[in-house]
Amino acid sequence: MILAANESFIFALFQYSFLRYALITGLIMGFITPLIGSFVVIRRLSFIADTLSHFSLAGLSIGLYLINIIGFTLITDPLYLAMIFSIIGAMFIEILRGYYQNYKEISMPIVMSLGTALSALFISLAGGFNSSIYNYLFGSILTVGNRYLWVIIITATLLLFLLVFYYKEMVIISFDEAYAKLLGINIGRFQFVSTFVLALVVSLSIATVGVLLVASLMIIPVAAAMKVGKSFKNTIGIAILFSEISIIGGLWLSYELRIASGATIVLINIFILLLVGLFKRFFLNKRLKKQQPELEI
Amino acid sequence: MRVTINNLTFGYDYRTVLKDVSFKINTGDFLAIVGNNGSGKSTLVKCILGINKIPAKRIFLDDVDITEYKNFRNIGYVPQKFDDFNYEFPITVNEILQVSRYTKVSEDSKLEILDKIGILHLQHENINNLSGGQLQRVFIVRALMNKPKLLILDEPTVGVDRENVISFYKTINELHSEGITIILITHNIKESNANFTHILSIVNGESMFKELEEAGEMV
Repeated sequence: MILAANESFIFALFQYSFLRYALITGLIMGFITPLIGSFVVIRRLSFIADTLSHFSLAGLSIGLYLINIIGFTLITDPLYLAMIFSIIGAMFIEILRGYYQNYKEISMPIVMSLGTALSALFISLAGGFNSSIYNYLFGSILTVGNRYLWVIIITATLLLFLLVFYYKEMVIISFDEAYAKLLGINIGRFQFVSTFVLALVVSLSIATVGVLLVASLMIIPVAAAMKVGKSFKNTIGIAILFSEISIIGGLWLSYELRIASGATIVLINIFILLLVGLFKRFFLNKRLKKQQPELEI
Repeated sequence: MRVTINNLTFGYDYRTVLKDVSFKINTGDFLAIVGNNGSGKSTLVKCILGINKIPAKRIFLDDVDITEYKNFRNIGYVPQKFDDFNYEFPITVNEILQVSRYTKVSEDSKLEILDKIGILHLQHENINNLSGGQLQRVFIVRALMNKPKLLILDEPTVGVDRENVISFYKTINELHSEGITIILITHNIKESNANFTHILSIVNGESMFKELEEAGEMV
């Protein structure tokens, strides 16, 4: 969604409630996506976000078909069907990961293909591409308003609850599953719960950055933070900071320059990643060399 | 911890790896499991850790059948390779120890263990900056975090230089003298200067158990 900017961003924030809601929604998503994204990265499951977002798209398209063509009234917003599909997709992945023990990553393309095929089928049945499909593909944070705010708050609370009460278990399972098993932790139960929350976060991210850009919101800030973080908590903190900068910067730039918000948020994330890479390459490494001249041969 | 194994035979699919293994060690004993690569040493350890599922009445830990044994936190385990551990994501030594601690261990005794193993100065260090030898010590401290009654070390000195091997066995001997039962797997018993009390040698799955008259006599 592109907006015509007549006033400055700050002034518009006070004037338009939709912009305030977009910022609040964005800030909450910007907080929870790298938080759960960190655990996804540690478990080397970075592709799960992409897979689930494509499977959610199947839910969205079926929802659009049911609502627009069939006249279904039980569900009024296709995003709720996307959430259900995201959870179903996550369960499919877990089942397939158990089925192909030594080739666990096979589960991703299978579920992603199924999701994409179903999406293509139902998009055509629902009358082909239109603006709402475009919004779901590339995100439309400025138009979501307060529609999903309560669902996002509930999901964020669920994730925080999980992390506050089961921090140790979540960390040890992510870093060292074999050792967690030895400690007597019920790995299956934790994986189920964390995948469930992940599926919810992915489907909700669709509203902010869209199906095609969900993974970037979850993974890129973490990828950048990993390169400069000193400890686990410090790294997650930095990832959240990067993510929030991209959300605020993305909203502001997309408003001022009249460009797509989802794409701007993701491009800022990529820009931060690039800056971090350069900073590490030219500044941090140089400083380390200066600190340890005696180690040089 | 008392470990008793009665006529244990174990295999994967159609391949028998362990044939009729039996032995018994008591609390405070120090067992060396010796054998070539692929002889079944690690498979036996996985049986004792409850990772490999075995029938009842084969392994007893403190006289409890392993199929009914619940408290594996009594066993501290240092794996052979750290492949299972997901590196690269920053995490400090202290953070690893914090999430691995499930028994009430005071902060002081944690520092004491770090000091004993010789890595107290590394507690705030990111594990990605550690050498192989330092990392191994971190995993030993982790294994000791829950006050184990049995410590199992799988080929702990592979790829470690001579100087560190000597200091490593010195540390292990100290732990043994404190009364912890230890099982140490090695394919090179000659390099170790440990105070073993028992030796189990495995050749092609067949095993021979021997109690040493004097600790460390064969070494």
